[in-house]
This record gives sequence, structure tokens and C-alpha cells, in this order.
Amino acid sequence: MADANAYIAAVGTALPGAPIDNQRLADRFGIDANWIEVFIGTRTRHFALDLDSKEQQYTLADLAAQAGAKALAASGLELEDIGFIVLGTATPDALMPATVNLVADRLGLDHLPTYQLQSGCAGAVQALDLGYSLVSSGLHRNGLVLGGDVCAKILPLDQDFTTMPPSELVNFVLFGDGAGAAVITSEPVGARLALRRVLNRLTGLGREPGQTVEWFGVADLDSGRQPIREDYKAIESAVPVMAREIVWELMDELGWSEDELDYVLPPQLSGRMTERIVAHMDLPGVAEVSCVAETGNTSNALPFMQLARLLEVVEQGQKAIGVAVESSKWIKAGYALEKV
Amino acid sequence: MNEIAIVGLDCRFPGAPDAEAFWDLLMRAGDGGGEVPPDRWRAVECYDPNGSPGRTNTTRGNFVHDPGVFDSDFFAVSPREAEAMDPQQRLFLQAVWRALEDAGMPPHRLADTAVGVYVGVMASEWGQLQLRDYAKVTAQTGAGSSCSMVANRVSYHLNLKGPSLAVDTACSSSLVAVHLAVNALLSGEVDHAVAGGVNLQLTPALGIFYTQAGLSAPDGRCKPFSSVADGIGRGDGVGAVVLRRLEDALADGQQVYAVIRGTAVNQDGRSNGLTAPSRWAQQEVLAAALRRAAASPGQVDFIETHGTGTVLGDMIEAKALGHVYGAGRKQPCAIGSVKGNIGHTEAAAGIAGLIKVALALHHRIVPASPFATRENHKLALRSHGLRLLKTPLRLPTGPVLAGLSSFGMGGTNAHAVLASAPSRARRRSVAGKGLDTPVVFTLSADNQTGLRRNVQAQADWLARRRHESVAPLAWSSNQVKTTLPHRFAVVARSTGELSRKLAEAAADPEEFAIRTGRPEKRHKVAFLFTGQGAQFVGMTRRLYQESALYRGYFDEADEALQPHLGQSVRNLVFAADDRIHQTGHAQPALFAVGYALARTMTGLGVEPAAVLGHSVGEFAAAVAAGVLSLDDAAQLVSARGSLMQALPAGGGMTAVRAGAEEIADLVADEPLVDIAAVNGPGATVLSGALEALERIAQALRRRGVDATPLKVSHAFHSRLMAAMLPEFSRVASAVRPRAPRIPLYSTLLGRATDTEAMDGGYWTSQVVEPVRFADAVHELVNDGLKLLIEIGPKPVLTPLVRKLRLADDLVCLHPAPGEEAGQEDLAEAVAALFLAGIDPLWTGLYGEPDRQLQRLHPYEFSTQRRYFNLPVAIPAALAPQADDRRPAARPAPDDGGGAAENGAPTPSANTDRVTHAVLTAVAETGGYEPGEIALRSRLYEDLGLDSVQVMQLKVRVETALPELSEFTVQQLLPHLTTVGALIAFLREHSTAAVPQAS
Repeated sequence: MADANAYIAAVGTALPGAPIDNQRLADRFGIDANWIEVFIGTRTRHFALDLDSKEQQYTLADLAAQAGAKALAASGLELEDIGFIVLGTATPDALMPATVNLVADRLGLDHLPTYQLQSGCAGAVQALDLGYSLVSSGLHRNGLVLGGDVCAKILPLDQDFTTMPPSELVNFVLFGDGAGAAVITSEPVGARLALRRVLNRLTGLGREPGQTVEWFGVADLDSGRQPIREDYKAIESAVPVMAREIVWELMDELGWSEDELDYVLPPQLSGRMTERIVAHMDLPGVAEVSCVAETGNTSNALPFMQLARLLEVVEQGQKAIGVAVESSKWIKAGYALEKV
Repeated sequence: MNEIAIVGLDCRFPGAPDAEAFWDLLMRAGDGGGEVPPDRWRAVECYDPNGSPGRTNTTRGNFVHDPGVFDSDFFAVSPREAEAMDPQQRLFLQAVWRALEDAGMPPHRLADTAVGVYVGVMASEWGQLQLRDYAKVTAQTGAGSSCSMVANRVSYHLNLKGPSLAVDTACSSSLVAVHLAVNALLSGEVDHAVAGGVNLQLTPALGIFYTQAGLSAPDGRCKPFSSVADGIGRGDGVGAVVLRRLEDALADGQQVYAVIRGTAVNQDGRSNGLTAPSRWAQQEVLAAALRRAAASPGQVDFIETHGTGTVLGDMIEAKALGHVYGAGRKQPCAIGSVKGNIGHTEAAAGIAGLIKVALALHHRIVPASPFATRENHKLALRSHGLRLLKTPLRLPTGPVLAGLSSFGMGGTNAHAVLASAPSRARRRSVAGKGLDTPVVFTLSADNQTGLRRNVQAQADWLARRRHESVAPLAWSSNQVKTTLPHRFAVVARSTGELSRKLAEAAADPEEFAIRTGRPEKRHKVAFLFTGQGAQFVGMTRRLYQESALYRGYFDEADEALQPHLGQSVRNLVFAADDRIHQTGHAQPALFAVGYALARTMTGLGVEPAAVLGHSVGEFAAAVAAGVLSLDDAAQLVSARGSLMQALPAGGGMTAVRAGAEEIADLVADEPLVDIAAVNGPGATVLSGALEALERIAQALRRRGVDATPLKVSHAFHSRLMAAMLPEFSRVASAVRPRAPRIPLYSTLLGRATDTEAMDGGYWTSQVVEPVRFADAVHELVNDGLKLLIEIGPKPVLTPLVRKLRLADDLVCLHPAPGEEAGQEDLAEAVAALFLAGIDPLWTGLYGEPDRQLQRLHPYEFSTQRRYFNLPVAIPAALAPQADDRRPAARPAPDDGGGAAENGAPTPSANTDRVTHAVLTAVAETGGYEPGEIALRSRLYEDLGLDSVQVMQLKVRVETALPELSEFTVQQLLPHLTTVGALIAFLREHSTAAVPQAS
């Protein structure tokens, strides 16, 4: 794994509408803004849904296509250079057609392999993993990798939030909508970010899911199952440990020392949780690249949003490691980068 | 490099009415074959499966649908002439129009320039049918039947002055035409070229020939390189491409489908037989084209072959291709032939292949070749380094080359090497976050019905592109779709919204009427600059934020005012600051708004022919007319405002609903009151001491006349201003005015300025003298200025003007009509001005990145008229019963509202003899129905009469009206403008001029 032969040439991101701050959430839902600030630590987020009309203004396909177009434009590559598309998401617009194919349609891409990975927070890294494999195997020269989520379908707004317990309430203040994209190339062009290693590993044998999001069809609309469940205690205790292990596994495999690492892109659960994870990583001297306080937890868009911020600061020769943990069935995900 | 760009195209082939449908047909390996339509010839009557002499072995072929349909009105071709035109001429003419639009060039813009027209055409079946009956040969049939006219018609109707010629080299005609066009471009002979081909099967003759020669496929289909290949299936088709030198196309920002790198044409000379194909000649022409393209065979990824599906032809071509392209390749070269989809379109075969290759390079995928899965293994294509495309081939990244062959029966062979377009400007623009800046989408057509048809067509087409950014699409519509007389404009912020609004307009007549216009003449525009009182906190704030144009000019004014004001007028205007109402601030602030808004309008191409300013509005008006420089005006208006501000309080103004003369007695009694403004016969403003004004107001109320005190700080335009005059006069005397560039209607003088200079004296008098707005605007309108645009923060003057009822056809507009007015209102104003006949400079509405040409749906022609008097009798032995030779019945003309709306008197009992005779004669001469002729119909432009028809018209009129005194053609000619003018002329020559019942 000495010489990488896959690179990130450019990154693009898309957020719907104007940022929604905590005061706006407080005004709209009667949720205490101070509580959000203190316990969640997320200051703003963007929603595909208009909070007043409750109409969905953006679909995942809209956002992913915007992000993809931006990444493509920034890469300097042309449409015809793109050999494949991968989209990682937990919340496709529909079960069929797969959202990735609608994104292709909007970008004007056709007659190429497309993949959609059904995944929680690890989806973006899984997409990077597949993109890395497709390019480094020599099968394709360039591809477009996307991740994104829109939670309009799973967060009903017509509820009484004043009586809701914090464990349920947290879902409404934690998440945000968005999409991100990266152009993966076999040659160092554009941003010239070498993808040295991608880690994608299920570690959940026999473990109860830390997070469950149900989906309902016509036959079980009224089944009464709770749409979203989270085991916060399990997440709080497991994720920091897993995150630290991911960093060290990547560094060990690449033979990188702690001193050589310049940036870490930690999991972005919420402002507060990310602070706790970073503290547990205990990497003094390594700069943190986070976005969750401004974007909210955009799930599969997050790594791309962190990458976009990394690209603004990273210099030639610098190294970075990104980490994502999917607490649904406990998936370790990460990637190591070097600007060449 | 000698590269030629294909910048626009249009086509119609069997099963594919346009280029998009053609690509769709190719990608699904569809076919356009079918039975011979009954309006061509009666296929069964010349059919014999064994192909006995004089018969064909098939009743099938590949036909375009309804080739008789032609929008003759659009091209101002009279029905009589259209009937006589070879339908190949009509099809090609329409295709060229659409191809030019596709290239982002409205055909009108090319008029009178050296554009070359090169068309491949070999079928003269129409001529053979029309010219056989000598008794029926008319002045029109000659031109209607000639192949050269297929090209010459285009040059005539579009007024193109470059070479214009038809090429007949049999089945290679259209690729040879492209070769000639390419060479003309490369030699610099022309800068634009249209090339193409057309082929229509009107008789079974060629089919019989193919049958007798053993070349006709019994199922009417070509099966290129297939084991089931058994001959040719004939095909109809028309295709046109617009060509330019690549560097020119890129410089003009045109989109490029593909690039022609090299072409070659040769002959097989004295080969095995006149019509036998020659492998050696084919090899030579392939190699020659590669040499001209400076390309090696191994670089070429795919070849569109001649590939007719005859056993011998396929074999010879495979060997020639293999020899040139197949040797020493890692991957075999992909081949295919469009003839498997649409048959052998003969003279249009080369252009069909060219369009297929151009679209394949554009879409970066090569369609599969039909019947390829049953490849003819005897051809051993693999061993020749070739592979027949059984499935679409996605082209690799980077530049790609392709070959294209077209061979003529007589041995004239053509080959072209094409390349993918340079990779810029092919990306779609995906709409960004939220809504785009509001833009104006425009369309135009030859009449209202055509406009509605095209509005609907664009609505449908754009609905499929709703995720694309609207601005480049609107920009393209402004560049391409604005030149026809009936105009449409709509403002939209996204493509989805645009599509919706278009669909609504097409469906709702009221909505449609609001968004359309048919400017008869170019209106002269006047700018009316608003005076004091119109200011408000934050005026034009939104426009400043949203319009870069306005922002730039406002900042210019701000910079000019700053040294005199000692502060930024921008901060003053856009802050939530009441001080804007103080005279010292209000006057310069209004000046800044007036200056910036006027410059914004001129920046958008709206040039005033005259200006008028109400009171302090005269400073910005004077700048617009070139009388004052921006700096001089800024200095004057600042001084004026601050000196007035410094005057003691105690003065005021009162608006009176009465004429100045009605209240003259009351004013005369008050030494401290003056008439400050005469805004209309019932709108006078008094100015002076407050107590005196109140006395007058009470007196007026006793007379039942309204008198309203105005919220002003001082008594402007009154003698109470006298104290500021010495100082203002000193400042004003330093100004050096120039003569106005355009008429300036002075509200001091109540008329346009004449020789008097707008010097210090003028501006000093202007402070105390009344504002004679009503007089000034009255003269302005009387002088023919009918399109009045108010320049100010909100509408004040335009409502006053409307009350004056100066003219019925007055159009009043305001570019910033509401307090929250922004770019959308500006766009609405530009749209309204476009509908009123102004040709805006569209650049001002778009940011640089949005000014990129995108292809739009091409013009949708009317399908209402059909000219196709076939089948014409087939030779006696085969002939069915003679058919009705008259053209198919035509529905009413495709003109909005028809005759009644155009003021056409339907010939009836109460129409006078002359009118009736003229309408009848014009209708007969042109082949129109009498009801289709309107009094305002123009004889040449609308009805398409030519000089020969003018002679016929004269004879017809003279025969119908024997009472006419004699007149010569020379006398007649100046009056042949409209039908109405002709009638007026004849009335003068009629000895029985008194109208009488017919």
C-alpha cells in the first residue's frame, strides 16, 4: 500500500436553503435554544423542508446533483471523463429509481456503471472505498463519488414538541440535510489529494444496533413501529473508542507516526459529541477539521463537507485522516490522505 | 489546424421528425421502415415479388411522414408557388432555418452576408412529374422543379449571398456537398456554410431500377454487413448542418457538436463498370481524408460506413476499410451504418451519416448498428481489424476520431474524418441553490398562432430540463429567438417556473395577450425624471442589491456627489434614516437614483430620444441629454439642496385640484404666494407663506375645490426662495452647459429647449419659476414620443401623464414600480419594452458566467398547410385511376384571428367593386382563399408575390374592372405595398369610383 493510485481531484458540497439557527428552531418548535446549545452544541443546520409551509423544497437528487456539478467543475474534468458514479445514502428519495440514477440524469451522465450504497454514517466512506477500488484497479480512470441525506421523510414537523422527551427531541435538532461529492482520479490532478488507504469494516456481530431507522410501505404504514430509535448510552461509550482505533489502525498500516499527521477529520455526531471524541483521540498537535456545529449532522454528506474545509488549508506533503463510525450495526470507517 | 466545427444541425428521417427523435431512434436501434404511403404511389400496382420487368420486388420502404406539409406563410411563399415547389425544396428550407437556430444564429442576422449553401440532391422525380404535361407548365413550375433551386431557395429566402449550389454525385451527393462547404470555409471564401442533403421518393422508378439491377431488398430494409443482407431499402430524408471554422465558432461561444478534421472526394475512373464499386478507389479516398486530417488510422475509434447491405457492396467496403483502418490495431475498429435504421436515403445518405457521427461524438456514445447480431461471417470483419457494433459503444475519455464514408453509384466516393469537439462548453449547468436571478425568456414567430405553438413547444421541452440553470437558456433565447415580428417575453427565476409560465400562457388567452406584442414600428422613447417628493427611506435598495448594473451607476453618482455633500448618498439612502426627507439630502439622493436608473436603462439598450425632468429631476435629465457632465450636475444639485435647506422655515406648498387660470385671482391677492407647478388642467401647486396658503385654501374650499397642503419644508418655486439665489447663481455660473444631444423638454420653459443655453441663468430661474410640466409633456407627446419611461424611485409622473389623456397609443412604464422593486421588476420592464418594439441589450441582465449559448428547441413550423398533389399518374401500363390533381383542401390560414382581426372585409354584398376585384385577383394570383387576404397584407413580404405575378395581377384586375382608366406597370409599382394601398390606387383610376354593391 506504499503508492496510492487514487486521488481526490475536487470536492463539492450543497446545503439546502438558508441556515436555520437555534433561535429559529426555538421559535418554530418551542425547543429551548439554550438546551440545544449546551447539550447538542450545534449552532445551525439546513433543511430541505420549508419550516413554515412544511413543503419539501429540495430532494436528495437535487442536492447531490448540485454537489456533483460543483465537484466536476472544480476538478477541471469533463462529463465524458467520468467512468462511474457511487452514491452513499441512508435516505434515498425513493426505493426506485435509485437516487444515484436521477443524479446521473441531472448531470447529463449516461451509459456508465452506477452504484448506490444503502448506509448510515459510513456510506460516504464506503462510497470512497468503492471509488478507490474502481480507480486503483485500473478499471476506470475517473469517477464521481457522492454522499448525502435528506431527513424530510423521517422527521414529521406537525407534532407537539413541548411534551417530547429529550431522547426523541434530539433527532430534530441533531440532523441537517445536505450532499457532498468528490471526483476520484487515477492521476494526481486538481486538488491532488492522494487517497492512501480506506478502511471499511463491519464490527457488529451479535451487537444490538445503536441506531435504527425504519421504513414503511403501504402494507405496514400503520404497524406502530417507532420510526427512529437510538441507544445513546451505547453510542456515547462505543464511538470514541472506535474512532481512536480507526485512526491508529490507519496510521499503523501506513507506517505514519503521530508527529507526521497534520489533520484529523473526526466523526461529526453533534458539536458536543465530536468534542468528546476528539478529546478521546488525544492527538495533540493534530488540527481538527469539523463542520457539524454549522451544518448539523448531515450524515453521508459530512465527510465531503470536512474534505471541502480540509482543501482550504492543506498544503503539499501534509497528511490527514478522516474517521466515520456508523453506530447502526457498528461499522468502522476511515481514510488516509496526503496532498502530493 | 484546418478544423471545421459543426455548430448546428437539423434533420428529418423516417421514424424521426427531428434531430432529438433521430438520436433516440439510433440509440434504441429503431427503424423507420413501413409500407409505401398511399399518397406516394400505389405500391401494389407495380409490385411483383419476382421483380418482373417494370415492377419492384417490394411494397415497403423508408418514408418521412407527411412531406407535403409546409409553412409557406412563414417564408411568405404564396400557395400557388408552394404547390409548384418540389417538396424537397420546402423540406430543406425549413431544416436550414432550424439548423441555424440550433447553431445559436437567428437566420435574420446572417442576411446579406456571404453564407454558402451546398446541398446534395439527386432525385428530380417532382420535375419529371410536373413538367410532363406541357399544358400545365406555369411560371412557377420551372423554378419549382429544378434541383439547383433546393439550394437557391434557401439563399433567396434567407438573403444569403455566398455560393449556392446543388450537388449530384448520386448517393454520395450530400457528403460531397459537405466537402465543398468545408473547402470554401478553409479557403476563406465564406465564413459560414450550410450543407446538407434531401431525398424524397415520389415515384417507384428508382425502386424498379434497383429491383431490375438485383439490388432491391424485398423487405425494404438495408441490413448492412449482415448475413441476412439482401439489398437496398430506399429512404427519404433531409438533413442540414451549419459549419464554421472552429476558431470562429469558439470565439463566438458557440456550442460544437463535432469537428470535421479532413474530407476527401475521388472517382474510381474507368473501373470494372460504370456503377460497380471499386475497392482501390475507396481505399484511396479513405487514405486521402486521413492525410488531410493529419490522423493515423489507429487513432480512429469508429467508422460510419456507406454500408448499404448489398452483398457485393458490403464485401468490397469491408476489404477497403480493413486495408486502411484495420491493420495493426490493438482493438478492432468499430463500424456501423445508419442505413439499417432509415434505409438508403440516397442523396441524403451522406448527411444522415454525418449527423449520426456528430451526435455520437457529442453524446460520446456510438449507437449499435441494426442487424449486427446477425453479422455476415463471410466478411470476416475481425480478421480485417473491424467489428460491427452490436451494442452502443461508450467512447473513451479524451479526444476521439471517427470516419465517415459515402459512395456514389457512378464512382464518386467521399470520406470524412471527424473529431470530438474541444471539451469545453458541453457541460450542463445544474441549477444552483434556490432561485436564479430573474431573467427574460423571449420567443418570436411570424404570427400569433405560430407564437402560441412555439410557446407550447418550449414549455414541453423545458419541462424536461427543469433542473438546468435558467439564465443561460434565457440568454440564448434572447440571442436566437427575437427576430420575428410577433414577440413573446416572460420573466422567470428557474427553468421549472419558466416552463410552467410558458404552459400557462399557451393555455390562457388573457395570459398570452399580456406577454405578447407585435410592434408595428419602432417607438421613440422618452425618459421622464421624477422630482422632489418621490423620495422615501431605502428607495431602490433592493434594486441596488440585485442589479450589478444599477449598483455600478449608483456608486458613480455617489462618488460624484461625495465631495459636495461631505458624505455618501448611498449610506444616506439605504440606511433607515429619516434625514432623506430633508431638502439638502432629498435632492442629491433623487439625482443619484435618477442618474443611476437612466444609465441602467441605456445600459440595457433603451436609448431615450428625448428627456424631461420635473423640477429637480431636470438635473439628471440634463446629464442624460448631454447638457451637463455628471460632476457639474452633482455640484449644482448639491448646492441647490443645501442652500434651500438653509432657508428659514415658514414656507409651504399646496396642491389644488383646479387649473392655474381658475385660481389666478386668489394668487394675485397674495403677494407671498406663487404658482409653483402646473401638472395638468386640474392639477396646480401653489407655493409661498403658510398663512397666505391657508387663506387661499379656505377660499377654494368655499368654491368646492380641493386644496391639500404638501409635506414639504420650504416654499419651492416661489419668491420665498429669493434669499438663496445670489449664492446659487454664483455656483451655477461656473457651469459650462453643452447643447443637448437629444431634445430636452424643459419644465421651466414648458417646451423643448431651443437655442437658449441651460446655463447659470437657467438653473437660477428654475429655482423660483413654476414647473410647467403639463405644457412640456404635452409638446413631447405631440412630437411623437409615445413610449414614456419614468425614471425615479416610484411612479409619480406617469400617473399624471395618464390623467392628461394625451394620446391613445401612449405606453407608460416604470422600471422600479414598487417600494420593494428589484431585479425582477427591472426584468419585467425590459420584457415590456421588448414587446413594445425595443431591442434591448440583453447583456445587462446577465452575469458573465450566464452568458453562454445553449441549444433551445428549434422553431416549430405550422403544419396547417399541405401541398402534395400526389400520387401523380403512374405510366399508363401501371397507372391507377387518375387522382384528384388539386392540392389537398387547405384549412384556414395560420394567422391569429384570421381575416377579421386584420381588418379584411370578407368579399360580400356591401364591399365595393374595386375592393372585391382586388381581393379576388390577389387571391387568384397567389393561390390564396379570398378570406385570407387582409387589407394590411403586404404583397411581397406577406403574400410572397413576385414580378411575374405582379404582371398577372395587373391583367386580372384590368379584366375584372373594365372601367379603370389606363395605367402602366411603372405607375402601379410604387403602390404595391399593401392590398389596401393597391385598392386606393385603383380607386383613383376608376371612372366609377363611387362605391356600389357588387
